[in-house]
Amino acid sequence: MLRYQENNELHRDFHGTTNTTLDYIAENYGVDALKGILQDTGEKVYKSIHDKLAAGDASELLEHLNWFYFREGAKYQLSVNPDEIILEVFECPAIRHLKKMGLKISEYACLQTSEVNAGMCKNTQWESSVEVLEEGHCIQTFRRKGCGK
Amino acid sequence: MIPSDHFVRFYNEVFKFLDKKNGLEDYYLEISRHQEHHCLDLFSRKGIAGMKEYWGMIAKEENIIQNKKGFVSDTKMLSGSSICPSLTKNLDNDAGACEKYCCHCPGWVIPIFTKTGFYCVYDLINLLEPTCSMNVFAIREEAEEFKQQRIANGAKPELIYDNLDKTDEVEANKERLRPIRDAALGAGGADCKRLFADG
Repeated sequence: MLRYQENNELHRDFHGTTNTTLDYIAENYGVDALKGILQDTGEKVYKSIHDKLAAGDASELLEHLNWFYFREGAKYQLSVNPDEIILEVFECPAIRHLKKMGLKISEYACLQTSEVNAGMCKNTQWESSVEVLEEGHCIQTFRRKGCGK
Repeated sequence: MIPSDHFVRFYNEVFKFLDKKNGLEDYYLEISRHQEHHCLDLFSRKGIAGMKEYWGMIAKEENIIQNKKGFVSDTKMLSGSSICPSLTKNLDNDAGACEKYCCHCPGWVIPIFTKTGFYCVYDLINLLEPTCSMNVFAIREEAEEFKQQRIANGAKPELIYDNLDKTDEVEANKERLRPIRDAALGAGGADCKRLFADG
């Protein structure tokens, strides 16, 4: 069950404010500071996902990925086995909206995914990685530590 | 991707970080410059009708619950009473709300009002409750009177933000934009009158 499950209107322009914020923090305080804020977001805002992962339960993470990418109108594919979750996003909704707004996409845009995911997994049995294949197309992997690859 | 739904909880973490660095004010100005993308042309051309258009869209997309309608005329826009969805989400946040969360709103919006020739009296009321009062005026005296009245009625002066100290800048921008606004309102006058009639 999701801790936060919005299901009403969406304000997609927030992707623009996120984009501006990523640049602002990285340029004024450094990339490590930005990563720290994003990891805190993953660990503390998504505390229930983090705590469940720490207890070996990936159910809320799965629900979170599925619900919010679906809700944002992403084209994606979610593949799941007990030790690995792979989310391939074919067209990132955030990047799609930034392009629609005519904004320059932050060079740190994909950190919001990799570092929030890392924060969710911090000090748990899970680890995450993000492979960016091209702009807006990535593969996000969550894997139980010590399993596979 | 941070979902649009959860941006405000990320924002809240940014505020916590920047507050420790004494860096909130500069960040608000950066967000204000970003928000110009959405607001500057609209407010410059249409004035208060443009503001009503913008916050009408925000009310819908951010699912704002309005308890009491505000007042809108061609020279002022007074806040009604509504539940702020942004602070509400951060009061329901496992990471806890930044105590200065509300300060970002006047922080980004007042510079835009200054640039578009308007005065703003923004009362945050209570930083722990999701209700505030944003009031916009074309006429300085009305803004000043409104602020004094609000304080007389018990508002906390330390929670009232305004640009009454920027009179020269506001008036210069008002004059600069007057021909553009007159042309825009002249061309779309019927729409603007309908907006005001709708309140």
